[in-house]
Amino acid sequence: MVRLASALLLVLLLAGWEVYCRVAGVSALVVPLPSAVLRTLWDGLAGGYLLPHLWVTTAEMAMGLAAGCTVGFLAGVLLAEVPVLRRLFYPYILASQVVPKLALGPLFIVWFGFGTTSTVVITALICFFPLLENTMTGLQQVDPNKRELFRMLRATRLQTLLRLKIPSGLPVILAGLRVAVVLALVGAVVGEFIGGRQGLGASIIAAQGMMDSTMMFALFIVITVLGMIVYQAAAGLERWLLRRPWKG
Amino acid sequence: MSFVSIEQAGYGVPSGGTILDRIDWTIGEGEFHALVGRSGCGKTTLLKLVAGLLAPSTGAVRIQGEPVRGPGAQVGFVFQAPTLLDWRTVLDNLLLPVSLKRRPQPADRRKAEELLDLVGLSGLEGRYPSQLSGGQQSRVALARALVTEPPLLLLDEPFAALDAITREELQDDLLKLCARHRTTVLFVTHDIAEAVYLADRVAVMEGGHLRHALPVPLARPRGRDVRYSPRFNALCLELRHAMDGADSGVALERAS
Repeated sequence: MVRLASALLLVLLLAGWEVYCRVAGVSALVVPLPSAVLRTLWDGLAGGYLLPHLWVTTAEMAMGLAAGCTVGFLAGVLLAEVPVLRRLFYPYILASQVVPKLALGPLFIVWFGFGTTSTVVITALICFFPLLENTMTGLQQVDPNKRELFRMLRATRLQTLLRLKIPSGLPVILAGLRVAVVLALVGAVVGEFIGGRQGLGASIIAAQGMMDSTMMFALFIVITVLGMIVYQAAAGLERWLLRRPWKG
Repeated sequence: MSFVSIEQAGYGVPSGGTILDRIDWTIGEGEFHALVGRSGCGKTTLLKLVAGLLAPSTGAVRIQGEPVRGPGAQVGFVFQAPTLLDWRTVLDNLLLPVSLKRRPQPADRRKAEELLDLVGLSGLEGRYPSQLSGGQQSRVALARALVTEPPLLLLDEPFAALDAITREELQDDLLKLCARHRTTVLFVTHDIAEAVYLADRVAVMEGGHLRHALPVPLARPRGRDVRYSPRFNALCLELRHAMDGADSGVALERAS
């Protein structure tokens, strides 16, 4: 029922927008007609113009996400397990996170050139921190009694990590992954603004160059849908991994 | 021959001073001893010294004549909370002590199922801890501590969070399980009736000292009749007086 109302709201909004633009004669450069946006979107998808860009952005996002999350997770485990390293490195990692990574984009273009590599590096850097932070937190907030249990059972350090700390920290780690997925899309699109030749972000810049606001709106829709799909995938993965044991 | 001997064992922390002061105590093989005292009297610390989770700063703890140098295979430990792994089934939780050493064999599984049966949880081996009641979780924790058949079992107020009826059931389960292999037991509690019902001998702790020892000459097996017998109540009262005496600092070196 609520879903229906929610869908109805969308239809009403779009209809109101369409009517207002037609009646008030708003320039298509400022705000395009929803009908025109949908037609452009349809033409872009059916005509095959959008698909290569969609594929490039998805691939960059996936590679950046995979690299950033893997390194973030491993670094989080290392820093959680070795307090000396944590004290040594954490201030630097924190400082590196305060630097806006998108501001590093121009530098990455100097280092890695225009195209995929720069975007993947930016995306990976953005995804790194939520995984690092949440892995560290998750591994450190293990119930002290359970840690003592594992000591009593003479578990090795590796056993304690794999069989106690990671499973009990998993909900926190996966929450970090959910944040990283959303940030990865932002990273990929904005990375393409700066240094992309292909991809949805680069297409937005190209459309802007041609004053094609209708195409820009169509691209927003593609990006939004892509973001919702990957977010739902991450949430689904989370539900699946935490399926029975954690349900109250 | 004493199974556990605590010799002049003390424990202090650099900042806070002495938590345990030169404790002497012995537990014979197959005996059930209880340690009572108010919160913060050091009884859990003493239990952890015996377990090898903490090292004494003075004196020594010996198990079968060997000084304790860390957690050993011959000791089972039951914590205040059930400390079950939420992401593992009851059976996997029960087999945890085995599976940390080697791959569990069918014989291990049979033994685990037998233990589950003894604590009245047969049929629940596929459940997860969140699907069990508090009493059932405590039963799994108890069975887990016994799955490797350790000759010594240490328990740290394991039933404190349970309701009175469930606690009585678990006390009976504990006695039954320990009688099977004549397990030597040290049981920490603040519940006087629990100590008297379970133990052969009760030690009273106060402020890091052992103040008093009370033998409990009640016949075994003990059942519900014992709990309501005048003799049982007289022993509880005697223990209560001993604890009051301990509070006022009077060392009643009786029956030691």
